[in-house]
Amino acid sequence: MNKRSFTKLLALLFSFAMIAAACGGDSSDGGEDTTDTTAGDAEETETEDTVAESGTEAEGDVDTEVEATDAVATQGGEIAIGLEAEIVGMRPWEDTCGSPCMNVLPTIYDKLMEATADGGYEGWLLEDISANEDFTVWVGTLRSGVTFHDGSELTAQSVADMFPVQQEGATSAGAISASGLIGVEATGDLEITYTLGQANSAFPAYLSRAPIGMVFEPVSAAADIDAFNENPIGTGPFVFVSRDLDNETIVERNADYWGMDSNGTQLPYLDKISFRPIPDEGTRLDALLSDTTQVMHTLRQGTIRDARAARDEGADIFMFEFQGNNVGGGMFNVLVPPYDDVRVRRGLTQMNSQDNVIEALGGTGISLPGTQWFSPDSPWYSEKVAAAWPEFDFDAGVATLQDYVDDPERSDGKAAGEPIDAELSCPPDPTLIAAMQVLEQTWTASGLVTVELTNYDQQTHINYALGAENGFVGDHTTHCWRVSGDDDPSTFLNQALAPPTAEVAAANGLDGIVSPLNWSNYFDAEVFGSLVAATATDDFDERYALYESVMLKLAEDVPIWFSGHTATALGVRSDVQGLSSWELPNGTLGVGLPNAEGRWSMAWLAAE
Amino acid sequence: MGRILATRLLRLGATLFAVTFLSFIMTSLLPGDPVNAILGVDAPRDQETVDRIRDELGLDKPLPVRYVNWLGSAVQGDLGESYINRGQTVWGDTIVQRLPVTAQLAFMAIIIAVILAVPIGVLGAYRQGRWEDQTTSAGVQVALSVPNFITGIFLIWLFAVKLKWLPASNWNRISDKGLIANLETAILPSTALALTQMAIFSRLVRSDMIATLQENFVLSAKAKGLSDRYVLFRHALRPSSLSLATIVGINFGALLGGTVVIETLFAIPGLGFRLINAINQRDILVIQGITVFVAVAYVLINTIVDLLYTVLDPRIRKG
Repeated sequence: MNKRSFTKLLALLFSFAMIAAACGGDSSDGGEDTTDTTAGDAEETETEDTVAESGTEAEGDVDTEVEATDAVATQGGEIAIGLEAEIVGMRPWEDTCGSPCMNVLPTIYDKLMEATADGGYEGWLLEDISANEDFTVWVGTLRSGVTFHDGSELTAQSVADMFPVQQEGATSAGAISASGLIGVEATGDLEITYTLGQANSAFPAYLSRAPIGMVFEPVSAAADIDAFNENPIGTGPFVFVSRDLDNETIVERNADYWGMDSNGTQLPYLDKISFRPIPDEGTRLDALLSDTTQVMHTLRQGTIRDARAARDEGADIFMFEFQGNNVGGGMFNVLVPPYDDVRVRRGLTQMNSQDNVIEALGGTGISLPGTQWFSPDSPWYSEKVAAAWPEFDFDAGVATLQDYVDDPERSDGKAAGEPIDAELSCPPDPTLIAAMQVLEQTWTASGLVTVELTNYDQQTHINYALGAENGFVGDHTTHCWRVSGDDDPSTFLNQALAPPTAEVAAANGLDGIVSPLNWSNYFDAEVFGSLVAATATDDFDERYALYESVMLKLAEDVPIWFSGHTATALGVRSDVQGLSSWELPNGTLGVGLPNAEGRWSMAWLAAE
Repeated sequence: MGRILATRLLRLGATLFAVTFLSFIMTSLLPGDPVNAILGVDAPRDQETVDRIRDELGLDKPLPVRYVNWLGSAVQGDLGESYINRGQTVWGDTIVQRLPVTAQLAFMAIIIAVILAVPIGVLGAYRQGRWEDQTTSAGVQVALSVPNFITGIFLIWLFAVKLKWLPASNWNRISDKGLIANLETAILPSTALALTQMAIFSRLVRSDMIATLQENFVLSAKAKGLSDRYVLFRHALRPSSLSLATIVGINFGALLGGTVVIETLFAIPGLGFRLINAINQRDILVIQGITVFVAVAYVLINTIVDLLYTVLDPRIRKG
C-alpha cells in the first residue's frame, strides 16, 4: 500500500465511524413503545394494595409507583448490573454494607425480615415474630424446608450459632450493641428466642438488613472467616460463583430455593447475575445505554437527570426511581462557637435557598426539598414539622444573625459587629461544590459571614466530623452531610441524637451512653427521652407523635440544614421487569426500591 | 557494564528506601482512618470494637514501629494484607492479580502508539514543512492537548453507545472469556492511553528522522537510486529509533503507574483502579504495596533501557 492509499484508508475508516455513529443510534430505538411496555410493569394493573396505605405521594414526587402487577413473569436469562462501587466483602457480619452491597448480598443471603410498603416489617425467612410486653424478648419461627447452598438444613440452631460470629464481627458488634441484643437461643427446631438488654420495639428492623439480619452458614464462617469470604454460603435465591474484585461478581440461580411467587412459580426467575462496579457515573450510564449492562444503579441526581434525558431522546431504558428519607444538606457543630448559638444556626438556615441548592446539585424536578428526616412519602413524615421548618427568607435570616453579631456577649469571642467565620466543607464532588458555592454566595451577601470553602476527600471529611482525637467533638464547623435512612427511625435517630461526648452524657446522668455518630453534637435530654420512649412501644400513632416532637425540636434548634431528599434509581433496559412490584412470601407488597436496592430474586426478563 | 549495573543497583536501593519511607509516612499521616472505612460511616460502633480492629491491624503501634515491621516483612516478600478487603494479600491477591491487566493496557497502548507514531513521524520528516507535515503536526498537537480521560469518554460514546461495537466498561479476562472478548474490553482504554503516547513518539521520530535524513549515508543511498520508501524505512528509520526505544521503555514504566484515570473511567481491575480505591479507603498497605511495586518497576525498566541502550549504541559503552 502506498502512502496515498494509506492516508485514504485512514480517512475512510474515520469517516465511516463518524457516519455510523451519527446514523446508528440505539439499535433498540423505537423508545416509545418499549418504554410504555416497561412502564406497564407498574401500570398494567391498578390495585388497592399500593403505597397509598403508607401515605400519599408528595406533590412533585416522581417516584416509580410501588404496586402489584398481574403480569406473568418468565424464567431464565441473565443480566449484568452496574453498581456505583465495589462491595467491601461477602460477609454480612464483617464487611460494611452500603447500597451497592445491599444489591449483592441479598442474592446470596436471605434476610430474616423484610420491609413492607407501609413502613412495617414482615417475615422473610422468619414466618412470624412476636415480642413480650416490654419488647425485651422476641420469639420467631423459621420457615421449614430451607437449606443452605451447601445442602445443610437451616434450623434455629443455625441462627443461634451465627450469634457468636456476629459478636466478633467488625460491623455486627456495633449493631448488636445498638439493638440491645444480648442473646440468641434455639428454643425449638425452628423457634428462635432473641433476648434484649433493653426494650426495642423496632428490633425486627435489625433483622431486615446486614449486619445481623442476613443468614449465613455459621460453621464454615466460624471455621475460617477469610475462606468464607471466598466461598460465601447462605440460603439465598442465588449461589455464589466467583468474584473478581473491582470487576465482576457472579451469582447463579439456586435451583433448590424455597421461595415461590404468588403463581406458585419457583424463584428466582433469572439464571445468572453479574454485578459490575463502575464508579464513574457517566460510564455506568453509558454501559446501560450500550447494553454492556442491563441495569444501572445510581444515588446521584445528576445521573438520574442524564438518564431521563437519554430515555426521553429514545433510549430503550426505564427508570425505577425512589425518593428516600435520606436527605442531604449539612450540619453545624453545636459544640463549637458560634454554632453553639441557635441564632447563628437559624439565621444561616433561613438564608439557605433550598431550590437554588437543589438546582446546583442537578436535582430540580428530581429531589424534593427536605424539612425533616423523613421524605413526604414516608409514613413518619409530618406536615406540622414541614410548616415549622425555617424556610428560605433571606431578610429574616439576616435579622436573626445580626442579633447574634451585635451581641456583645456573643459566644465566639469576637467584638460586636464583626462577621462570623464559617468553614464550609464538602468532599470534592463537582455538584456538591456547586451547591456549596450557592450557600457561600448567599451567606457572604449578608455581610455577616466570612466563608471559607474547603474540600477534603471522603475519609478526611468523615474523620474531621468524627473527632476521635478530641473526645468526638470534631474539628468541623459547617459540614456537608447526609442524614436519615429508610429503615425504622430508631435505627439511626437513637445514635444520631444520643450524647455526643462523655461530658455531655455525664451532665445528663447518662454515663456510658456516648455516640460517635452524633455528628452535629446536638443533644437535648427531652429529645433523647422521646427517642428511647419510641422504642418501648409498637403503637404507630404513639411512635409517630414522639418522632414528630423530635422533628419539631430539630426544626426549632436547627443543628442540621437540609437541601433535598436523596433520589435514587435503578435504570434498566426496558425488558427488565418486576423491580417495583415484588412481594413478600405472605403476599404483602414490598417496599419497592429504597436506596436503589433491587430484590433480584423477583426480577425477570420480558420475552422479546 | 559491571560498573553501570552496580551504580544502577545502588540507585535502585536508595530510590526504594525513599519511596517506601515517604509513601508510608504520607499515607499514614492522612487524616482519614481505615477503621471508619471498615465500619462504614453511619454504622453503630462501640469503642471496644474500634480498639479491637485497630489492634488487629497494628494501627495502635507507633508509626516508626509500623514502618520497620512492614519493611522487615517486605524484604521477605510479604507486603501484608489489605485492611479493607481482609484476607486479600497485597502481593498475591492484589499486585499479581492486577499487574497483567495494567501491563496489557500499557503494552497495547505502546504498540498502538508506535504503530501510529512511526508513519506519522516519518511522513512529517519526509514532507517537512509541507501540508502533510503541517496537518500531522496539528493532529499530534491535538492528541497531546486532549487529556486521555476526555479521549476515553469520546471513545465510549462513539464505539459503545452510538455504534454498539464494543463494551463501555469492565474487563474480560483471557482466562475466563478468551482473547477476542478480552480485546473487546481492552481496545478502547488502550487507545485512550495511546493517543498521548503517539503524539510524543511521533514528534520524536520526526525530529530524529529529520536529522538522519541529512546524514551522508542517506544521501548516498538516494544517489544509488533506491526508492524513497526503501531509504526511509530501511536506512533512516533504524538510527532514528534509538530515542524512540528509550522513551518507549520509560513511558511503559510510567504507564504501569499512570493508568489510574483510565482504569477508573472504564472500571478496569488493574493496579491503578485498586490504588485509587485504596486511597479512598485509607487501605494503607495496599497503597504502600502498589506504590513500591510501581517504583521498582519504573526504576528497573529504566535500568534495562539504559543497559540496552549501551548495547545498541557502542559509543555510549565506550564513553
